[in-house]
Amino acid sequence: MRRLDDTPIDPDIAEALDAIDATLAGDPVDPRHAELAELALLVAAERPQMDAGFAAALDARVQRRFEPGSPSGVSAPARRRWRVVAPLAGLASAAFAAVVAVIVLGSGGSTHAPLLTQSVAAQAPARQPSAAAAPAPAPATATVGSVTPDVLQPPPNGRKVIQSGQLALATTPGRVDDVAQEVFNVVGSQNGVVNRSQVTATGGPDGYAQFDLSIPSANLPQTMAELSRLRYAQVTSRTDATQDVNDHYLALARQLSDAQALRTSLLKQLAAATTQQQISSLHAQISDAEGKISDLQGELRFLSHQVAYSNVSVTVSASAAPPSHSSSGGFTIGRAGHDAVRVLAVAAGVALIALAGLIPAGLLAALGWWITAALRRRRREQALDLA
Amino acid sequence: MTDLPAKRSEDVIATPAPTPVAETAWERFEALYRSSRADVYAYVFTLLGDRAAAEDVTALAFERAYRRRRTFDRRRGEERAWLFGIARNAALDELRRRRRLAALVAEPEDVGEPAVEDGAEVTLRRTAVAAALAKLPARERELIALKFHGGLSNTELARVLGVSESNAGTMLHRTMEKLRKACNATA
Repeated sequence: MRRLDDTPIDPDIAEALDAIDATLAGDPVDPRHAELAELALLVAAERPQMDAGFAAALDARVQRRFEPGSPSGVSAPARRRWRVVAPLAGLASAAFAAVVAVIVLGSGGSTHAPLLTQSVAAQAPARQPSAAAAPAPAPATATVGSVTPDVLQPPPNGRKVIQSGQLALATTPGRVDDVAQEVFNVVGSQNGVVNRSQVTATGGPDGYAQFDLSIPSANLPQTMAELSRLRYAQVTSRTDATQDVNDHYLALARQLSDAQALRTSLLKQLAAATTQQQISSLHAQISDAEGKISDLQGELRFLSHQVAYSNVSVTVSASAAPPSHSSSGGFTIGRAGHDAVRVLAVAAGVALIALAGLIPAGLLAALGWWITAALRRRRREQALDLA
Repeated sequence: MTDLPAKRSEDVIATPAPTPVAETAWERFEALYRSSRADVYAYVFTLLGDRAAAEDVTALAFERAYRRRRTFDRRRGEERAWLFGIARNAALDELRRRRRLAALVAEPEDVGEPAVEDGAEVTLRRTAVAAALAKLPARERELIALKFHGGLSNTELARVLGVSESNAGTMLHRTMEKLRKACNATA
């Protein structure tokens, strides 16, 4: 039945209704409403009476709380269980779908940055059967952006490889000095050399530090690992580069050997020379050979130094506020807290995605429920009109 | 004015008194059941005109009310209005079922012969009222059933029908006038 306007009731009608209520309550009424009161009593007297047998049966069903003989054929406990299980099953399905979506998007999407990104431009060959016969590999570069990246190391195949690294760290404005000291400490512990350093500690966000380090190549992985786990800094980017110079080194060595052989031969010829002209010519050739030998030896020493010592560039920026963590590699409260925050962030993301899927579904379900209820209500009213 | 007594359900079937303070949902439901079962039955029977159907619908209404007893919100109305709303939906579903089955709606049953001690004039008036009631459209018969057989207040009546209280009163008054004229015409 549609809702009518809530206009004030007519005073005469209100009096008549009060008379009806008074009559049903057994109170006296105004004689003006005597006919209405009599009709009310007659109508009330037509009230159907419940059969005693039905009343007893209904009492018994109520006392049993309607458990047996459910009209729908489904037991009440089963219905209750289903009412609990159905929404939970729906939520579980939605959550599962959300997790699957997160996994698929996280692993397959090229535009989504994973937690640990590692791009290798070219990788050095893992095994070289013959150092001399192997082609000169292209320089290898690995760029890592993470909190504590794995330690990268070229394959231990005996080839001459120049390694270098670049590390960008972030710290709080008041910790630039501390981070700089930590860098010095790490370099000292790894027998490295600080070729150049510049530390600008302002206490503000423009604090900055830069280091050019020379680290024994054998200690480079450990050095990079420790620099990546400084107590007051966090890695914002890291680049590990390698360049295979084995062929170039061997070529220089061969040239040096040839030059030394030439010099030996020239010295023998000088010993056998008899004329002044021969002696002068051989002296000149020997001088050239020794100059070449000296140059080649210098090149080889420089190359060997580059192979033995790796250049590492470290920059420290005070623009970020990283969480503190210990420089040790083990379990710490700070690191555990950081991991917990990350887990919560991922969980919140999953929940957000699930919510984004559930809200439209919930709105559709609510709309469907509302339409169904309205249709049912209309059909019921129609049934009353047609009865 | 006639001296016919206004009978209430508690007078017909002796039931325990309702619990003064219902502590749990079950106790509240049981108290509601005790105080309302005969009223619900009378309303449904007047609306459907079939004793067997009225018994089925009454039982179904109380079972639904029991299942939903925890969903009752007192802020949305009194329990009796809530219960009669459930009974009304069940009764209307029964009417719809009858239409689908194309079954003949049973003529309203006699609710009992007038008492022997009643006078002839009273008997005639009751007969006239019963006939006039039977001829009322279902929607108006429902108003009478809710008010006089279900024992609802005008506020509860409005709540069950989904109209304002003033409109419910106006409709009831109009139906009573129609009933009075029909009775006078019969007499």
